Amino acid sequence: MQRALNSQVKKTNRQHNLSRLQTLVARHETVLQTGASVTTGFADIDAYLTAHAGGGLPCGGLHEVAAETSADMAVALGFAHRLAARFLHHAAEDDVLLYGQTHAACRDGGQPYGPALAAHGLSPQKLVYLDGVSLADLLWAGEQALSCTSVACSLLTSSDSAPDFTHSRRLSLAARTAERPLLLALGNTGASAATTRWRIAALPHNGWQVRLEKLRLTHDTPPPTGGWAVYPHRTDVRVEKHDTHIMPLMRRAV
Amino acid sequence: MSAPLPPKPQEPLLTGRRIIALWFPHWAAETSRADYDVTQPFALIDMHKNAQRLVALNDVAGQAGLYPAMTLPDARALLPDMQTAMADPQDAAARLQKCAYWLQRYTPWIGEDTPLETADGLTDYGLLLDISGCAHLFGGERALLEDMAARLATYRDGRSITLRAAIAGSIGAAWGLARFAPSDLTIVPEGQDAEAVLPLPPAALRLSAPHIDLCQRLGLDTIAQLARFPRADLTRRFGPIPVLRLEQALGQAGESLNPYLPPPQFQAHKNLPQGITQIEALATLIGGLCAALAEQLQEAGQGAQRIDLTLTRSDNAVMALSLPLAHPSADAAHMLRLFEERLTRLSGGLDAGFGVEQLRLVAARTAPIIAPQENIGLSGRLRKAAPMAALGGLYDRLVSRLGANVVVRPVPHASYIPERAVRFASVLEAQQSDDDVASIIDPATRPLFMLCAPEPIEVIAEIPEGAPYRFRWRRVLYEVTAAYGPERIAPEWWRGLTGESLSHHNRRTRDYYRVEDMQGHRFWLYRDGLYDRETDKPRWFMHGVFP
Repeated sequence: MQRALNSQVKKTNRQHNLSRLQTLVARHETVLQTGASVTTGFADIDAYLTAHAGGGLPCGGLHEVAAETSADMAVALGFAHRLAARFLHHAAEDDVLLYGQTHAACRDGGQPYGPALAAHGLSPQKLVYLDGVSLADLLWAGEQALSCTSVACSLLTSSDSAPDFTHSRRLSLAARTAERPLLLALGNTGASAATTRWRIAALPHNGWQVRLEKLRLTHDTPPPTGGWAVYPHRTDVRVEKHDTHIMPLMRRAV
Repeated sequence: MSAPLPPKPQEPLLTGRRIIALWFPHWAAETSRADYDVTQPFALIDMHKNAQRLVALNDVAGQAGLYPAMTLPDARALLPDMQTAMADPQDAAARLQKCAYWLQRYTPWIGEDTPLETADGLTDYGLLLDISGCAHLFGGERALLEDMAARLATYRDGRSITLRAAIAGSIGAAWGLARFAPSDLTIVPEGQDAEAVLPLPPAALRLSAPHIDLCQRLGLDTIAQLARFPRADLTRRFGPIPVLRLEQALGQAGESLNPYLPPPQFQAHKNLPQGITQIEALATLIGGLCAALAEQLQEAGQGAQRIDLTLTRSDNAVMALSLPLAHPSADAAHMLRLFEERLTRLSGGLDAGFGVEQLRLVAARTAPIIAPQENIGLSGRLRKAAPMAALGGLYDRLVSRLGANVVVRPVPHASYIPERAVRFASVLEAQQSDDDVASIIDPATRPLFMLCAPEPIEVIAEIPEGAPYRFRWRRVLYEVTAAYGPERIAPEWWRGLTGESLSHHNRRTRDYYRVEDMQGHRFWLYRDGLYDRETDKPRWFMHGVFP
């Protein structure tokens, strides 16, 4: 009798401990969103983020933007630039964007082109560019930028090697503590402690296929597996206006 | 002396140096602070050998028969109403140094004279200037010397300064000629130092008083007579120094100039009793120096824009680190962090050898700091550092680790040639004001990413002057589904006219197309050269990618 009672107590204790641990793990896994956040400017994505992530992308966090294939690196960077522009608009007027590239990213994807930045909502005057560094230096620079109050956002690009989980965890914690965003645009992805991870592919007719692969803000509804098809330049009035006066010389159906 | 044998003729060292020796015979008197009538005799007096003696005279007093080292009563007997003042040798030396800095308008390399042991403690005031490669800037050596003499004549307002000068190929020759040549301004043509020096008296060899005495007793009146003796005999009789001086004057032995350098205004240094090799210990010492320097800077309200660290090893090797700063800073912790960053990244580590014995930290360039006013009443938000200061700190850290040519910002440039429309400038350079050069290009028609150099691609086009149909870039075949263009960009013809050579990619007209492939990747490519007008086989290049 006594033994049965003891085992009953033990069982209850174990269940209690288990549920306590589960809550603890859940709390650690989920990044509680307290600080400011920004929207992406795409209605579908924003609707999902509003419903499940408390209003948008948190400013204090590490966000990864990955390319579907190596050829999609340019579109992935385009999306990352768009997020960076949103973060920059949210920040103070004099704040800058730190944009760093590894040697490989520089060689494969080219350098950011000043005259085109305006079409993506960025001002060339606000750009500080690291022209080809090693991955370790790139991540170091990102950490330094997080500790600087006048850097609105850092965007780090590596087309070949990716940071490992330790790097990712360290940067993620630093970004959350500093309440400033850090964007990583990657050709390859590994284990990561990022708050969000996006995967981007090109779509015909100026479109992007945007998938939200990971969201450490919620546990209930996973993001749609197919992602969203967005057409950034069609929503952008300035680009529409410019595009109209250039006549397409040739447009073939394939 | 033994039988005079002609010495083995030695070839003069052809160094190509040109040295000016300046001699101010009446420097102390002429530049004295005492207020006197320049047309009347004047002398500076000092106590020497238990008597008041004249140590410096002006020209008028010299002509009246006075001479240095004369006692004051003797001088008074000759000229009862002579004006006098107490001598101040330190002040005169300081004025000479000031004059040396002023002479840096002619050459940066100005040295002090060899200190000379003269009888009766009189001081000789002269300067040495290395003008190798400088004379042509002033229209030749003669013009330079005359310009210098004219300016020195009015250097101290109201009083002219007596000057004798000589230009020669060696310090020794110039020194002797300035003092003993017949004319006030002497220029010796290159390679003829020996001929010019030989007729001068032995005193022109910078000899000490006992040696000059000895020459007189031996009946040697000119350097030529002295130079005829074998050097070994001379060494036995005079010792090594006069022989060295002789060879230096004849241009057969080298000699270096000890330049005056303006002392830095802000500096901190530490001499160690024993060399240290550990980087950690060095970092601690550098931290101390940074704190001392920062304190000096803060007191003066200045911030350092460039800091130079010099480490002297026990084997006298000197290591120098120079640190540029984005914004003037007087923050010791910031400086130390930058140095630590730099020290840990020195290629192969810091080679401390047998130990570093001296550390010197100098603020080489400074600018005033305007202390930012703190905002009052920001209770809710964290108080933010002044944006420029915060960014400056970040730039410094990035530059000191990654290099100034890596941390850059785009600067627009007014050009239609795409790769010329922007250049990267270091963040340490002052940001240029935003003019409207960027607005000449429509940003939407330009790719967000531009390849570092246009890459050749293989293109199949429907017609030679038409848009591409399919192309191969980096060994991948792309099928074009849509093309916009062409946007025709002509080369900048005016560059060819002004003598600038056109770069390889800037000789022909380019037709740019924006194309999209089947998967939706977008590219910016161009045909180099107009078909049939500029070339028969136009080549294609990939220049950028659109997101």
